[in-house]
This record gives sequence, structure tokens and C-alpha cells, in this order.
Amino acid sequence: MRLNRRKIIDKIMLGIISILAIASAIPIFAILVNVYSEGAKYITLNFLIDLPPPPIGDGGGGIGPALVGSLILVLLALVIAGVIGFFTGLYLSEFSHTKLAQYAQMFLQIMVEFPTIIIGLFAYMVLVAPLKRFNAMAGAIALSIVIIPYIALNVREAYKSIPYTLKEAAFSLGVSAPVAYLRILLNAARHGVLTALLVGIARAAGETAPLLLTILGTTFTYFGGLDQPINAIPLLIYNFALSPYEKWHQVAWGAAAVLLTIILAIFVISRLIVREVKT
Amino acid sequence: MSAQKIFPILLAFFATTSLLIVTGIVISLVVNSYPIFLRDGLSFIFRSAWNPVREDYGILPALLGTLIVSAIAISIALPLAISLAVFSAELAPKSIKRIINSVSDLMAGLPSVIYGLWGLYVLAPALNQYVMTPLHQYLGFVPLFSTKPIPTNLFTAGVLLAIMIIPFASSIIREAYSAVPHHLKEAAYSLGMTRWEVIRTLLGYIRSSILAGAFLALGRAMGETVAVAMVVGNTLTFPRSLFDIGYTIPSLIANQFPNAEAYSYMMPALYGGALILFIAGLIINLAGLYWIRRVMVKS
Repeated sequence: MRLNRRKIIDKIMLGIISILAIASAIPIFAILVNVYSEGAKYITLNFLIDLPPPPIGDGGGGIGPALVGSLILVLLALVIAGVIGFFTGLYLSEFSHTKLAQYAQMFLQIMVEFPTIIIGLFAYMVLVAPLKRFNAMAGAIALSIVIIPYIALNVREAYKSIPYTLKEAAFSLGVSAPVAYLRILLNAARHGVLTALLVGIARAAGETAPLLLTILGTTFTYFGGLDQPINAIPLLIYNFALSPYEKWHQVAWGAAAVLLTIILAIFVISRLIVREVKT
Repeated sequence: MSAQKIFPILLAFFATTSLLIVTGIVISLVVNSYPIFLRDGLSFIFRSAWNPVREDYGILPALLGTLIVSAIAISIALPLAISLAVFSAELAPKSIKRIINSVSDLMAGLPSVIYGLWGLYVLAPALNQYVMTPLHQYLGFVPLFSTKPIPTNLFTAGVLLAIMIIPFASSIIREAYSAVPHHLKEAAYSLGMTRWEVIRTLLGYIRSSILAGAFLALGRAMGETVAVAMVVGNTLTFPRSLFDIGYTIPSLIANQFPNAEAYSYMMPALYGGALILFIAGLIINLAGLYWIRRVMVKS
């Protein structure tokens, strides 16, 4: 009798766990289905190129300026954060015994958890307030601060995972440290480093909060210089979704489908890289 | 030979940037919020006011909103995250496990503005129709449900945040669960325990990791900006129930920032809110990191 009750409780609890686990995965599928069913129909070549439509009236319109802006911002952020993040990660991995490395790693772990809006406030003070104008450079710097910790910590993992014997072999060749780390060992860590950069790109492409305080985003021009306001896809989705115009809501869904496709593509590529390493 | 010596210094220079950035951020928050604390002292934190014309600011409602929204989020997310972790680590067959982990990684990497868009146009109306309105109708006498709900409110923001932090909390718990020494599990089974009893025992064994996951997820929830700003209602009133419209500190900053330049104390007030958010988040995240590190030292 007693054994029986335990078996029944066992079945019930396992059932509850399975149901809750499946329930927690439902939203992602709902999001994928909703974004594509609402947004995919607007995506045409013109949608990717054209200026946004007027809120009322005819004309398809598109997300051209936001797409160009996002490309510029992500590229700039990748260059800045890629350089800083890569060398920081290398230092964390190879000089992990130093006090500086220990502190830097702790600070980076805290930075990952920073509310990104605070990074926006910082970029505003440093780069927007002095210029008295919202500008692309402030947005790019803010994005790079957001992704530096992701890149640095992933690069650290990549270099840490190189077998010690390989490192010894590289240095026994008698080459200098830069050559050993950046030519020989980088080759061994290349998948991890590439994944680190891809993670950074995906983060930068989808980040919105710091852009609210740095690039303004309401401009209808494609690109006017790094000291001028610029638009970005996530910011356009945010602004248009909250606008009262049905037409702009449609553009927001279309832009969300574009952004989701970019994120999915990066996700699949990084999965393929990881799989290649494992086999 | 000189490259040999310069290289570590060059690397150290780059590693220093993270220290400089964090220091710079702290300085920018302190310097810019200084005027409001100088004028109002701590009453800025404990008062409910937002009147730019009279330059009167108190962020208590936004602070409470942040706490309410993240409390809703974590209490919904934690049971689901634990279930997801256990299901993936213990119950699911290997092929399904791979799919679950991929899906959960994808969820964690999805931009918050997409969650926000979906939350605003799909989740909020559905919650309003199937959850909040019935709760208000039948349990309206309970203070928590006493406000007549509109789709975007504190509760909707809490649910959306829960969805966003589940994969994050779950991956920390999953990792800890898989790292439990195998002989422990075998010992538990050899006592004649049922599967559920073994799971319960192992969950007890990794409780510090569960706590760490909860704290780190809570930190994320408190700092999330755009997704919350899209569904929380954005009104600075004192929250009277879960279904009241409200503000969180990040969404307050996102929404009020465009007007801030026009007033002399609004900018300091927003930086002050950010400073409080930063300190609260730092404490919570350090607690989370501390518990994770303790587990790592133990094993």
C-alpha cells in the first residue's frame, strides 16, 4: 500500500515536470510563428531598401535607413569590441594568475549583467551631451561596451581550451609571444574566437535600450556621417510598434521578421561551427 | 626580443579597459545624479512624485514597480526553469535533449525588442482575456487583483519577463544538475528511491546553484528595458494591485529621457534612478556569482 502511494506520487510529479518543461518552451514557438505570419508578407526587396512609409496613406515603404544604420552600427561595434574583447580574453586566459586578470574577469562578469540602459546613459554623457547632438558614434560605442564582455569571456574560453601540450609545442618553436598566440594558437582557437564574434554580432544587432539614448533614430535619411543621428532595426521596431498608426505596426512586424531571420542565421552558423569542432 | 616584452603589456592595457569602463559608468551615474540627491536627499527614493513643471521627482512608484514586476517574473519562471532543467538533464531522451537545449539557447539570444513586440500585440491581449479579466471578476475582492485590468500592466510585464528569463535560469540549473557526481545518483537509486525521490534529492544537493540561477535571473529581470517599456503601461502612479499600470526604473528612463533636457532636475532624477538600479543589481548579481563560485570551489 505504502509502496503504491510512492509510485503514484512518482508518476504524478514526473508528469508535472514534463508538462511544465513543455509549457516553458511554448512561447518561443509562438513568437516564431507570430513574427513570421505577421511580418513575412511585407518583406520584399523594396521593403529592405525604401524609406519608411508615411503613417497614413498609400505607398509600401520600407526599412532601408534602419537596415543601413544597423549594418554600420554593428560593424563599428564589432571592430571596436572585437579588438578590445579579443586581447582582453587572451590576457585573461594566458595571464590568469595576475591580479589584473582576476579583477578584469570579475568586472567583465558584472558587465554582462549590467542593465544595458545604464550603458546608454554613460554613452550619452560621454558622447552625446558634449556634441549636443544624438549621433551614430555614441550608439556604436554603447553597443561595443555591451558586447565586449561577451567577446572577451568567450575568447578566454577558446584559448583556455587549447591543450597545454600544444601551447608548449608552439613556444618550443622559438617564436615570439605574438607569433605564438596570434598565428599558431589562434589557428587552434579559431572556432571559439569566431563563435565569440558571432555572439557579439547577434547581441549588437538586437540591442535596443542604449540606442534610445544615443542615436535618436527618427531620421529619414540613410546615413549622414558618424556625428549625425542614425536609425537601427531594433529601434525602428520599438518606435513603430508603440506608434498609434496601423501602417507603422505592419512595418514593425516586417522589421521584426528581418531581425529574427538575421538572429536565426547567426545562431545556425554558430551551431554548425560548434558541431564541426566536436566531430 | 622587445616584442616579447611589449606584448604582455599591450594585452594588459586592453584588459584594463573593462576596469576603466565600469569605473567610468559608476562615475557618470554618481556625478549626474548628484544634484537631485543634494537637493532632496534620500526622500527622492521614498517619495511618489513626477511633476516636471514643479521640478518635483520621487521614484518610489518606479522602484516598487521594478520590484513587483521582477517578483512576478521570478516566481513564475523559477518552477518552470527547474522543470525544464530536470526534464532536459534527466527525463528526456538524448535526441530530444539536444533540441531542447538548442531551443533554450535560442530563446536566451532573442532580442528583447522582439519579445516586446510579441508581448504587446499577442501576449497582452491574450493574458487580459483569459487570465486577468477572469481573475479580476471572480477574485476581485483579493487586493492583488482589485484593479480592473487593461492589457498592458505590471502583471503582463512580469509574465513577459518570466518567459525571457526562463532559459537563462534553466541553463544554470541544468549545468549544476548534470555536474552532480554519478555515484550520488547511484547511491540514491540503490536505496530503492523512485525517480521523483532521486530528483528531489539531487535538487536539494544543488540548491545553491538554483539560488544562484534565481538571483542572476532576478538581476536580468530588474534591468530589462524595452520589452518591459512596451507592455508595462508607462504611468507613474502608486501601484495598487498586480493589474495596475505602472513603471519600472529602466522603462521610466527610456520613456522620460527624451523630455529630460528641457528641465533642470529631470536628468539628475533619471541618473539617480539608474544609480539605485545599478546598486541593487550589483548586490543581487554579486550574490548570484558568489553562490556559483562557492559551488565551483566545493566540487
